[in-house]
Amino acid sequence: MSYQFVRLQEKLEPKDYRSNIEPTWCPGCGDFGVVSGLAKVFSEEQFDPTSLTLVSGIGCSSRLPLWMNAFGVHTCHGRAIPVAVGARLAKPEIPAIVTAGDGDLFSIGMEHFPHAARKNFDLTVVCMDNRVYALTKNQQSPTSRTGYKGSLTPYGNIEEPMNIIAFAIACGATFVAQTYSGNPKHEAEILKAAVEHKGFSFVNILSPCPTYNKIDTFQHYKGRTIDINKDLGHDPSDYGKAVELASHALDHDNDPNAKVPLGIFLKIEKPTFEDKVLALKEKYGATDNPDWDKILERYRP
Amino acid sequence: MAFDLTIKFAGEGGEGVISAGDFTMRAATYLGLEVVTFKSFPAEIKGGYALSQVRMSDEKILSQGDGFQILFAFNGEAYEVNKPLLKPGTVLVWDGPEGGDFEPEFDWLEKQGVIAYAVPMSKLAKEEVGAYITKNMVALGAASELFNIPIDVYKEQIVSKFSKKGQDVVDLNFKALDAGINWVKNNIKKADSYRLPERMPRKDVIILEGNEAIALGAAVAGCKVYAAYPITPATTVGNYLSELILKANGYVYQAEDEISSMAIVIGASFSGVKAMTATSGPGISLMQELIGLASMAEIPAVIVDVQRGGPSTGMPTKHDQADLYAAAIGGHGDGQRIVIAPTNVEENFYLTVEAFNLAEKYQCPVLFLTDASLSLRVEAIPTPNIKEIQSKLINRPLITKDMNVDLNEILRYKVTETGIAPMLAPGVSPKPYAATGLEHGEDSSPRTRPDIRVKMMEKRFRKLQNIEDENQHLIEWDLGDLQEGDKADISVIAWGLTASITKEAVQRLRKKGYKVAALYPKLLYPVPAKAIEKVASMSDITLVPEANYTGQFARFVRMYTSVRPVQLNVYRGEPFIPAEIEAKIEELVGSKVNA
Repeated sequence: MSYQFVRLQEKLEPKDYRSNIEPTWCPGCGDFGVVSGLAKVFSEEQFDPTSLTLVSGIGCSSRLPLWMNAFGVHTCHGRAIPVAVGARLAKPEIPAIVTAGDGDLFSIGMEHFPHAARKNFDLTVVCMDNRVYALTKNQQSPTSRTGYKGSLTPYGNIEEPMNIIAFAIACGATFVAQTYSGNPKHEAEILKAAVEHKGFSFVNILSPCPTYNKIDTFQHYKGRTIDINKDLGHDPSDYGKAVELASHALDHDNDPNAKVPLGIFLKIEKPTFEDKVLALKEKYGATDNPDWDKILERYRP
Repeated sequence: MAFDLTIKFAGEGGEGVISAGDFTMRAATYLGLEVVTFKSFPAEIKGGYALSQVRMSDEKILSQGDGFQILFAFNGEAYEVNKPLLKPGTVLVWDGPEGGDFEPEFDWLEKQGVIAYAVPMSKLAKEEVGAYITKNMVALGAASELFNIPIDVYKEQIVSKFSKKGQDVVDLNFKALDAGINWVKNNIKKADSYRLPERMPRKDVIILEGNEAIALGAAVAGCKVYAAYPITPATTVGNYLSELILKANGYVYQAEDEISSMAIVIGASFSGVKAMTATSGPGISLMQELIGLASMAEIPAVIVDVQRGGPSTGMPTKHDQADLYAAAIGGHGDGQRIVIAPTNVEENFYLTVEAFNLAEKYQCPVLFLTDASLSLRVEAIPTPNIKEIQSKLINRPLITKDMNVDLNEILRYKVTETGIAPMLAPGVSPKPYAATGLEHGEDSSPRTRPDIRVKMMEKRFRKLQNIEDENQHLIEWDLGDLQEGDKADISVIAWGLTASITKEAVQRLRKKGYKVAALYPKLLYPVPAKAIEKVASMSDITLVPEANYTGQFARFVRMYTSVRPVQLNVYRGEPFIPAEIEAKIEELVGSKVNA
């Protein structure tokens, strides 16, 4: 007994996955690319907008579900993952995708990621990583580079950024990848692979903020990315190699010769949490109408 | 009551006083008696003062009572703590004459008219049985012989509790029972008249512990996702539910924290299934922001709060009724919430079902306030008619694909006369929407325009405008021989466990000639102002007894009605006893004998 995602018989156009609300993002925001990338993947996967749930937190990027034609929950700050877990527990046949920012997922909502990952919920978590809190007007985020000048740190960030690729692998995510919103083709490929992965998939999308972050710009990434799978021949089933590659994910912050690694770091197969719950339900003879007389017997004196 | 007996076991945590009480409760229900138990123990796994008492009667029992007739004192602390309750005619069974850690004051006991029996529980367990851990079974053997408690039920309980550990463990406990029985036979001359009656015809009842009743109620209501984080005294709701809900096609999920638990409830309910969490005070504090999301996005959610002593970590295993503010008005902004509270174990079951019905009907969070004492209390309740309950379940109105509705007409937050609009769910409805905690228009798109804000705020609150009139079954009236509008000596308003204790006090007062008008609201918030005004208008004095310091419901009464109640508050970590409420009313009204 397992579950299958609901799919349409016929393909819809990517635009059919967009709502009539226009994004309120600044012109040139990297997140526009994520909207088109997701719409393209939903079309290719033949997902049904009425059987698809997008979940986000709070922040610029977390407005994304509002721009889409699909079920969505724009939750509280940091709480996208557990709301999506609730959706997965309720209806495993409905695909659920989390779209949130680096501050939302890795600062205020930090406690949820490791657990959803290690439990291997069949869920795709997309991080739109602009390395800054933008909606609150320029504060350092957990992925901001050292020296970054935010409104609370005009003298420059004195912290080290978090390596979220290495973190995701350590948490037990069964699919970990990084892509770049300035490379729509690569982004769509990675998102498709993530959505098709049966288990917890994490995609970090480098998504520049043109308004506040003047360092991690399209200009900075241009010509500095490298495809770890195609260019370096990395096999994502190689866990040891994945860990090693991930450990260098932020080298480019300080080393002008270091590349920004894109691609699938890790992809391994494990049973999903949803399948394990279904197996338990089968074992207990789950039914919406159990024999209550029999159940009540055990409460009798 | 023809038969009304309370046996109390008290001693150090880990000595088995809780099991002694549980086994005795089972024996009483086997005989066909009604039971109400009261247990209290420290937050630590071992050590500290623990007690378990069983009140048994051949009639319906309202509360745990004022005291006991029989005390088993396992140690000196248990004796000292309970000394004030050793009234004339009570029986003290103590750990002696040898091997215990104390000796009672025999002169005082005799003067007081207390009947004392020495049973060397520690010594017999150590020397005769060879295992100190069987001390409680020695006590039960003695109890069986002294008070005619069916030994077969004790044996049955031993088998069901210890057979997993092996036949030798079962035999050891049987040996301990025998040691207690033989000691009584050879050394004690019975001087009291307490005896359990012979077995009565079997009643159609089920036995439930407080939190077990909530679990059963959730399963019957059709809860499919239960998410919670371990916290005393709420954890056992999940323990009781985990296998039961699997049979009913649901799942108990242990979340990483209470924030996550509440988020999961929202995610599951948004997806179209009934979902619930249970927690205690600290967890409610953590959930506040997400409870606000359920209010704003109008997502049905059931949140059980098994209240414990606060603030902060407070007294995790102790009784308190001090989360009412947090439940009703603990969130930021003006959010619509419903708060209900059961008064006994039976209502823990029925009102859990009701909590789901209210959540589905009004599309908002429903907070269910029970407490530590009620969580552990055991009652035998008439076997519920599940088919009938399920035939009356309320399910949210959903627009489904087969309805052939014009897609352009579908607005998730349509402004209606009642404020209630049909819901949409993935996989079921023909049109999606994105729920948001932002203020939004009828189609759920974010809006901050003043006119839209006003319209939507009023829509959400309009849902609860008539909640009191629509839910009269959640307000229990008890006027005794009085008619509505008659003059009473006093009116009393009580909620939660305190209501069931108040009932017993009121019964006693009526026998003494007092005219008492009582109101026991199960719906606490929105405050049932009409009923409160009405009951208070019957008397010059209104009393609100509550187990909290500030008088949380009394303050709501002042806030929402013209009534200015007198407060009676206990905040010691234990529930009221009926005598306290009885005495307060006598003080307020004046003695009936002198009048």
